[in-house]
Amino acid sequence: MSTVTDAMSEQQRQPKPQPQGIKLTEQQLRARRARSIAIALALGAFVIVIFAVTMVKLGSGALSGADTMRPVQTTK
Amino acid sequence: MSVTFARVEPSIAGVGDYIALMKPRVMSLVVFTALVGLVVAPGHVHPVIGFVALLCITVGAGAAGALNMWYDADIDARMARTAARPIPRGRVTPGEAAGFGFTLATFAVVTLGLLVNVLAAALLAFTIFFYVAIYTMWLKRSTPQNIVIGGAAGALPPMIGWAAATGSLAIEPVLLFLIIFFWTPPHFWALSLYRSEDYARAGIPMLPVVAGAAETRRQILLYTLILAPLGVAPWLLGYAGPVYGAAAVLIGGVLIALALRVCREREGHRASRQLFGFSILYLFLLFAMLLIDRLPGALFGHFA
Repeated sequence: MSTVTDAMSEQQRQPKPQPQGIKLTEQQLRARRARSIAIALALGAFVIVIFAVTMVKLGSGALSGADTMRPVQTTK
Repeated sequence: MSVTFARVEPSIAGVGDYIALMKPRVMSLVVFTALVGLVVAPGHVHPVIGFVALLCITVGAGAAGALNMWYDADIDARMARTAARPIPRGRVTPGEAAGFGFTLATFAVVTLGLLVNVLAAALLAFTIFFYVAIYTMWLKRSTPQNIVIGGAAGALPPMIGWAAATGSLAIEPVLLFLIIFFWTPPHFWALSLYRSEDYARAGIPMLPVVAGAAETRRQILLYTLILAPLGVAPWLLGYAGPVYGAAAVLIGGVLIALALRVCREREGHRASRQLFGFSILYLFLLFAMLLIDRLPGALFGHFA
């Protein structure tokens, strides 16, 4: 029993082989960074477009919400 | 049993490669003709809405270009004119181009539908579908009438611009559609006359490859004789002023003269090259004149 335990602890002490994975070259890293920046800019532009159109569609009433909350005045 | 997986290399595609996938030169013509459709339409469009409409049409055209390059990668690699495109050069994989194209197309159509109007979005979706499925996948490899029928896709942007401005269609945008539709065959056949070997090597049945140079020259003249009066029609029908009319008559006359020279040419391709170059200028001038004719009205309408 102790022999088995010794063997297991010996195995645990052995340095685990590190996963190799894919090492990107300098060119690949540069290309990925440029693509990431372009996607970020495109998403930013998309957000600005949605914001601008929302403002246009809502018109001036978008910034004067308090006025729309007033009760309607009725004449008797 | 063993399973093998293709090794996938991390992408080296830069931003420029993705821009090249969108065919920027075609895109510039699309955005210009769509702008004219938008400006000549009656009524007033808020500049922000107009800008968004043009942006969506531009991105939609770019998406169609990317999907065209994805499907045509095999024949692009066999032609000198297209061998340097991102997929044949190995900069972008076909899968990446397809994903890019489908994503942009979806974004462009949905955004146009939600922020501008549904008719314009439907027309943009139809244009992309027509260019990719009808022209690229079907007609281009099967008939010499490929660019005649497929030209409808390139002719639709002014109609989309008009629909974005008004939410409806009329005779005038149909006229703009017809001008580009009848402009496409003489423009591309002039090019294919001096690129016929390229097209033959790629197995594309362009008219000079299938019917010969003489028949192509005859067809170029035929379409030019229809195109020149169509170019004058906006003035004749009262949609444009006399300055536009005079310019359209003048440049239409030059176009017919060049087409006649192509018809008479027996050796070399000098006249074909001249016609190809001038055809681009012709369409640009025609639409620019229409824009100049209507721009004061559009501007004063906005600031009134």
